[in-house]
Amino acid sequence: MNLRYLVFALALSSPIAASAGNWHADTKYSTLAFSGIYQGEAFDGRFKTFDATIAFDPAQPATSRFDVKIPLASADTANSDRDDALRGADFFDTAHTPVATFTATHVRSLGGNHYAADGTLSLRGVSKPVVFTFTWTGGATPALVGDAVVNRLDFKVGGGQWADTSVIGNAVKVHTALKLVAAPGGAPATSVRK
Amino acid sequence: MSTIAPVRWNRFAQLLHWLIALLIVGLGCVGLWMTSMTPSMDKITVFALHKSFGITVLMLAGLRLVWRLATRHPLEMPGPAWQRWSARAVHFALYVMMFVMPLSGWLFNSASNFPLQWFKLFNLPALWGPDPAVKHWALMVHEYGFWTLAALVTVHAAAAFMHHYFDHDETLRRMLPGMPAPPTGDKQ
Repeated sequence: MNLRYLVFALALSSPIAASAGNWHADTKYSTLAFSGIYQGEAFDGRFKTFDATIAFDPAQPATSRFDVKIPLASADTANSDRDDALRGADFFDTAHTPVATFTATHVRSLGGNHYAADGTLSLRGVSKPVVFTFTWTGGATPALVGDAVVNRLDFKVGGGQWADTSVIGNAVKVHTALKLVAAPGGAPATSVRK
Repeated sequence: MSTIAPVRWNRFAQLLHWLIALLIVGLGCVGLWMTSMTPSMDKITVFALHKSFGITVLMLAGLRLVWRLATRHPLEMPGPAWQRWSARAVHFALYVMMFVMPLSGWLFNSASNFPLQWFKLFNLPALWGPDPAVKHWALMVHEYGFWTLAALVTVHAAAAFMHHYFDHDETLRRMLPGMPAPPTGDKQ
């Protein structure tokens, strides 16, 4: 078994309903991007690495589970000064909290192929609810395209002297487009505990 | 308007000259110091002001070039040919540097993928996309350009003082605001 798949399997720490398809993001064809405001202008960044494991069945969204792990040091905004600052103690503080996680166990249907996952984002040691809305396009390799808005100050990303939102905007838009492949072992998934 | 050349620089030319001079000296001093600042909101503010004042110089330099070309200006002061030619060369180079410095800074800022906001009022577009090579060269131009400009300003100011204190001519006075007009016998 590929070590990466083992990690994905271990990431699932709660039972998943047998009917929910169990997927993980093919990161080669998936993106996790963010957009903030700095000095009156939007800047775009992305996380070069992340893991997303998703148990989702459009017929039974309530049985879903999202497990996303984001190594924060992989943030890339095409600006070395800004990337260094992002990794620093005042922002992502990757030395102490290298990984952010997004976990959701409740997905609501918004009609059509639109859904909302009420999840929890853990970032910089702060865990707060974040709503992630997405569209689901099924198939052998489903596509999940979604958005969330994260207020950086809720997570103390750039607090203190950096809290001036006229220079660094508070709301950060997160956008992701995932190409999903069936998790090894095949869907439906079974419970795996750490 | 008289068809003969004026003996003094007009008020607007004087205003632009001294305003830009003040900005250049201030930008140079702050520019030398600010790069050694540790990352902080103060550093962001100082850089933002450096960029805003630098863009101001660019705007004023554009206005000044138009004004220089569109209005009458005093004739060159009489003097040896080497002085007249070197004065022309330094003046020309100063005009060039008034554009090179802000434009290289703007290009460096753009290639570094930073926004460019003018006194928190509006944003200017990027001249270039994120590009490490362009970033490197633009910074080289900005840095060597600074030392070139510093040398030019020094020579320019030294020449003005030389004319004022040793040659006792109108070179400096005719650029100073509020000075009485030179005696009528002082022909250009």
